[in-house]
Amino acid sequence: MKTKIKNQNKQNKGASQWNIAWRRFKRNKTALTGAFIIGFVLFLAAFDTLIAPYEPNEIPAFYTGEARTPPSSKYLFGTDNIGHDVFSQVVYGARSALYVGFGAAGIAMAIATIVGLISGYYGGIVDNILMRVTEIFLVIPFLLILLVFLKVITAVAPSGVGGLSMVTLMIGLFSWSSNARIIRGEVLRVKQQEYVEAAKTLGASRIRIVFRHILPNVLHIIIVLTTLLIATSILVEAGVSFLGFGDPNAITWGQQLQKASEAVKQAWWEGIFPGLFITLLVLGFSLLGNGLRDALDPRLRE
Amino acid sequence: MVKKILEIENLKTYFYTWAGIVKAVDGVDIDVNEGETLGLVGESGSGKSVTALSIINIVPSPGKIVEGKIIYKGRNLLEKNENDLQKIRGKEISYIFQDPATSLNPVFSIADQLMEVIRRHQNVTKTEALQKAIELFRLVEIPDPEIKIWNYPHQLSGGMKQRMAVARALSCEPKLLLADEPTTNLDVTIQAQILQLMKSLKKKMGMSMVLITHDMGVVADVADRITVLYAGRVCETADTKTIFYKPKHPYTIALLTAVPSLALRRDKLAVIPGTIPNLIEPPSGCRFHPRCEYAKSICAEKIPSLEEIEPKHFVACHRALEIDIKSPLGVEKTAL
Repeated sequence: MKTKIKNQNKQNKGASQWNIAWRRFKRNKTALTGAFIIGFVLFLAAFDTLIAPYEPNEIPAFYTGEARTPPSSKYLFGTDNIGHDVFSQVVYGARSALYVGFGAAGIAMAIATIVGLISGYYGGIVDNILMRVTEIFLVIPFLLILLVFLKVITAVAPSGVGGLSMVTLMIGLFSWSSNARIIRGEVLRVKQQEYVEAAKTLGASRIRIVFRHILPNVLHIIIVLTTLLIATSILVEAGVSFLGFGDPNAITWGQQLQKASEAVKQAWWEGIFPGLFITLLVLGFSLLGNGLRDALDPRLRE
Repeated sequence: MVKKILEIENLKTYFYTWAGIVKAVDGVDIDVNEGETLGLVGESGSGKSVTALSIINIVPSPGKIVEGKIIYKGRNLLEKNENDLQKIRGKEISYIFQDPATSLNPVFSIADQLMEVIRRHQNVTKTEALQKAIELFRLVEIPDPEIKIWNYPHQLSGGMKQRMAVARALSCEPKLLLADEPTTNLDVTIQAQILQLMKSLKKKMGMSMVLITHDMGVVADVADRITVLYAGRVCETADTKTIFYKPKHPYTIALLTAVPSLALRRDKLAVIPGTIPNLIEPPSGCRFHPRCEYAKSICAEKIPSLEEIEPKHFVACHRALEIDIKSPLGVEKTAL
């Protein structure tokens, strides 16, 4: 009997909103392009040791006197002035970019979701307090405070603390506020829906209503915002590194850009390739985010 | 002696808006006997839904129950805490909403939504809950329940959705069902089907029902007794026949006159002049007096109390015994 029900379960599963969204997503060429780009970078990050011909800190060109040579068949993207292989560094940079992107967006969206849900559902004084805190975070000049914090932490903290994780954490902690407001707004809308009231009439507890009835109905917004925030976080990390506030020992595209900036005229290849990859990955996440928004928007029914 | 399952005494539910205090329900007395269907009738804004929401204490903010007693099976529900109320909602007292399209959660399959309620109130495993859910689907006469149950709300028609909502409300065999205009958003044939279904299920399960509607035809068909509400107050309570054939309150009479009828052969639809009053500053005295053609000076001065003018026939009107008008429907046995 049990297995029979399970089988029926599989056969008869109706088209959920997620199924419909997936069908719509599959038809969206730009979104698929975005997904493909991200897939490509994920592939680089996953198999970086196999793909990159040299270790990230190896300086093969130094010994052969080929430092700062343009792209060739030996060094695909050329070499920098110390003798690093730019291609290897770009490949290893993929993992850092994804780490920062997913890490920072994950932290920020976790805060934004919790704040948005609580603020939107409970309303009243709780909402008031949380929204004022959110506004404080909104008015802080984001990049400036980030730079100050990073400077202070690297100055105060013992060596070893800091690095890429600290940059990620800081970006996460300072970029949740606007998304929290968006989620709150959406929760306010969903809260008014009759099915939430219906859940109440059927004896559902508050926590159950928030997590089982409201959260799934705002999840599409959260997914889209996360995707777009990943793109922003990657950009911010690159910016911070470029300005010299990142972790100088980390292999990131931003760091490569910063080092390359010293010799843009002599060695264009040092900067252009990491720059290209930043652009490509950010574009990928933006396209994916926009595609997801179109696919998940409940107002667009086929 | 019939046992009363629900007694509402002097219920006052106010909404504290920025424009002022809206007295949506202002001293309502209602009782429901075991096994009967009470029709709650009135215009939009007369406080029908707010009364029903007050019963299970889920009046949306900024609304608040200010005063009164809601006695369900001898216990005052207003004295219970949220935790106890959650155990009563859905299990003992259930609610059916007006619009099935919005009262079902769009992101879950019907099976999930039914099982959620069953597992909330009954100690059963997932498989058992699913079995019960399919049983319920059979009960509300949905074809191929094993297949249809895995559908999502948007894949079902309006009538099916309301059947599903009925199934969800009945999943734990409640003793009292509050149905808030359950058929208003359905077309007429489906409406008849759903009403028929609710009637038969009510009998089968031996529950009581409060049916909220503004459709006199619906209450005539389903209700045993009727309470007429106007602007947050009870006008008249009596059994269905009395309300239709021997109404005493001018508002009840006006409502009946407004029912389109083929038998009466009128050229124009009758309307009640004016609109429902502003409930922030309701009219003094009897709230219906500005629209009432029988109003006298006393009507504007004194609030009429709900008097039992005949056995089990309650009317709140100063002039109930003076005015003598025939029901617009004529004497009993006339076709509606």
